Amino acid sequence: MTSIVMEDVSKYFDGGQTIANYRLTLEVVDGEFLVFLGPSGCGKTTALRLIAGLEQPSEGVIYFDDERVDGRSPSSRNVAMVFQNYALYPHMTVAENIGYPLRVRGVPPDERDRKVEEVTTLLHIEDQVGKKPAALSGGQRQRVALARAIIREPSVFLLDEPLSNLDAKLRQEMRVELKRLQNELDITTVYVTHNQEEAMSMADRVVVMNRGTIQQVAPPQELYERPRTAWVARFIGSPPMNLFEGTRRNGSIDFGEAGAVELDDVLRVGDTVDDEGSTAAPGDGDTASVVTSDVQGEVALGVRPEDLTITTSRPTAGNVIEGRVDTVEPLGEYVLVNVTVNDQLVNAKLADGTVSRDERVYLTFDDDDAYLYDENGELVN
Amino acid sequence: MSLRDHFDAVTADTDRADGLAVDRDKAIAIAVFLIPGLTLFTIFSVAPIVYSAIGSFYSWDTFTMEHFVGFDNWIRSLTDPLIVNWSNMREFQYPMGALTHNLLWVVLHVPASTFLGLALALLFADLKGRRILRSMVFAGFTVPPIVIGLVLMFVYDPQAGIFNEFLRVIGQGHLVRNWTQSPQVAIYALIAGGIWVHTGFSMLLYSSALSAIDPSLIESAKVDGANAWRRFWDIIWPLVKPVTAVVVIMGIIWVMRMFDIVYAAGGAAGGPNHAYSVLGIEVYRAAFRPQIDYGMAMVVALLQLFIVAPLALYIARMR
Ligand SMILES: Nc1ncnc2c1ncn2[C@@H]1O[C@H](COP(=O)(O)OP(=O)(O)OP(=O)(O)O)[C@@H](O)[C@H]1O
Ligand SMILES: [Mg+2]
Repeated sequence: MTSIVMEDVSKYFDGGQTIANYRLTLEVVDGEFLVFLGPSGCGKTTALRLIAGLEQPSEGVIYFDDERVDGRSPSSRNVAMVFQNYALYPHMTVAENIGYPLRVRGVPPDERDRKVEEVTTLLHIEDQVGKKPAALSGGQRQRVALARAIIREPSVFLLDEPLSNLDAKLRQEMRVELKRLQNELDITTVYVTHNQEEAMSMADRVVVMNRGTIQQVAPPQELYERPRTAWVARFIGSPPMNLFEGTRRNGSIDFGEAGAVELDDVLRVGDTVDDEGSTAAPGDGDTASVVTSDVQGEVALGVRPEDLTITTSRPTAGNVIEGRVDTVEPLGEYVLVNVTVNDQLVNAKLADGTVSRDERVYLTFDDDDAYLYDENGELVN
Repeated sequence: MSLRDHFDAVTADTDRADGLAVDRDKAIAIAVFLIPGLTLFTIFSVAPIVYSAIGSFYSWDTFTMEHFVGFDNWIRSLTDPLIVNWSNMREFQYPMGALTHNLLWVVLHVPASTFLGLALALLFADLKGRRILRSMVFAGFTVPPIVIGLVLMFVYDPQAGIFNEFLRVIGQGHLVRNWTQSPQVAIYALIAGGIWVHTGFSMLLYSSALSAIDPSLIESAKVDGANAWRRFWDIIWPLVKPVTAVVVIMGIIWVMRMFDIVYAAGGAAGGPNHAYSVLGIEVYRAAFRPQIDYGMAMVVALLQLFIVAPLALYIARMR
């Protein structure tokens, strides 16, 4: 029963040369399953280690409930952690590994054995208790690491890419199992991964990180529906969102030879989403002024591959962008068509691929499916 | 037998024959490359051992083997007060015999250099500039032992020695003495010097053992709630155990074969009235100094071998 609050937490290495985390501000609600998602080297592990107490913040404050914990040792924070490589003690048996946190706390052997039996049964590793970690498969090792983490009912559960060493099938199984376990135990959990699918399928909320900073914190659905920055838009989805680069001229976006799109149509999108009650980013509500103001600048228009339609003859109405087919990839489930628009490659997911290479095509999309990002990469409502 | 079975049997046979052929080729290759090593080993290890094993049962006129005398050499050597001096041992008076001195080295030097080595390795493990420190400590071990003996001479020199100077500086001037020539304390002074020298070796072995430990194991133990003391006993100590075995046994071998330091400090006699003589010194004196007693030299050398060889074998068999 613990909530975690990070306030402006930064972590620098090598005397400030490396900025691993920069001004992370975040609240993890009690019992929540929060996932840190981001590319390699973006500072996910560092953030997790800061919460664990294995690193101390260079700046900023961390609270567990209302208690300030930065500067405290990992053991006094009562966190449990599953390391990326599991970190099982190689000289101890599975049972000794799992029971170690209890042994350190002076729990009598009888009770320890009982607890070990309980968690090994829960995780289906009761047959392995006498073995050494080296004799286990990857999936079994991971369960042992999990068992060692849950045996003492920690206040916070921290997992660093625990599934990355498993094969695809086992990963899928463990994903479901982990989620079920977390639901059952109802322990606040912070989970680190660079696997988008993993993040989207397990998280209550996802924290998208890039280069040490938080890009967006949102539930998976919202992350997909309303990427707050162009970077997030380009990161989420497979394949991710297309961003058509264009120039904004008063009321329209000019894509040069590829055509132009009326801006006020697109910007109505923001209103509709707001009406649906999605959490609004600060600073919205001035769409009207954005549309009418006489501004020019580089913008990016985002449309997901699945929201694009391709026609070979120019449609008379709606939003149209012109391009040339580059390659067609029939993937069975759908056909992925790569189209060149002004030297930029974009993808469209189609039900069937009737177009062929080098054909001139027209990409159309609904107003509702378009996202506008300003020159700073921020979503314009 | 069906045709199929027959066929399988035939292919299985050829497989096995192939395997043997490969093995034979391998064996020949191994033998060819082992010849130089084995030759040296035979000339310089096996032959002398066999020679002294036989020679230890013969009487000798200087270097000439005379006639079979049974266990005469053995009994004479083992009852020689230079090897084990029972009456002095009862009164705790040096000399107590070379073998006793050697064992004293084992008991004092080996645990001390092992634990100091581990302690230093742990200390240097998360220290900036540990590489330089480590190589400095280890440098002590790369110096030839006879030089170490000479350095110890300088350290303990009654006039110019820095140890006496150090005692004067810390106000313990009454302890000042000629350390290597005072029978009752000299051996401890030498053992202390030996520890100082040998600790670098055990530290180096422990250092690499420590750096081989996955840091996430230590972090995991931290998260599990173990304090530094428990982390050491529950995680680090068991994981460096194989290295401890090597360090201890190498230490025993090193002190059982001790010669240079003692020779530098006390010459062929092993100190005033043999006060800190060791087996190596006794072999040397019996073999090369008048009165030459070749039979005894062989017996004492074999005695050293009996103690050291099983330990060396144990290390060789490890892993
Ligand atoms: N102990 C350290 N000393 C110096 N730099 C570090 C240290 N730990 C992390 N860094 C740096 O901080 C940055 C973030 O590292 P971190 O391990 O948090 O990334 P990550 O998001 O977990 O990446 P991955 O997905 O590859 O595990 C990296 O640039 C890394 O080089
Ligand atoms: Mg990481």
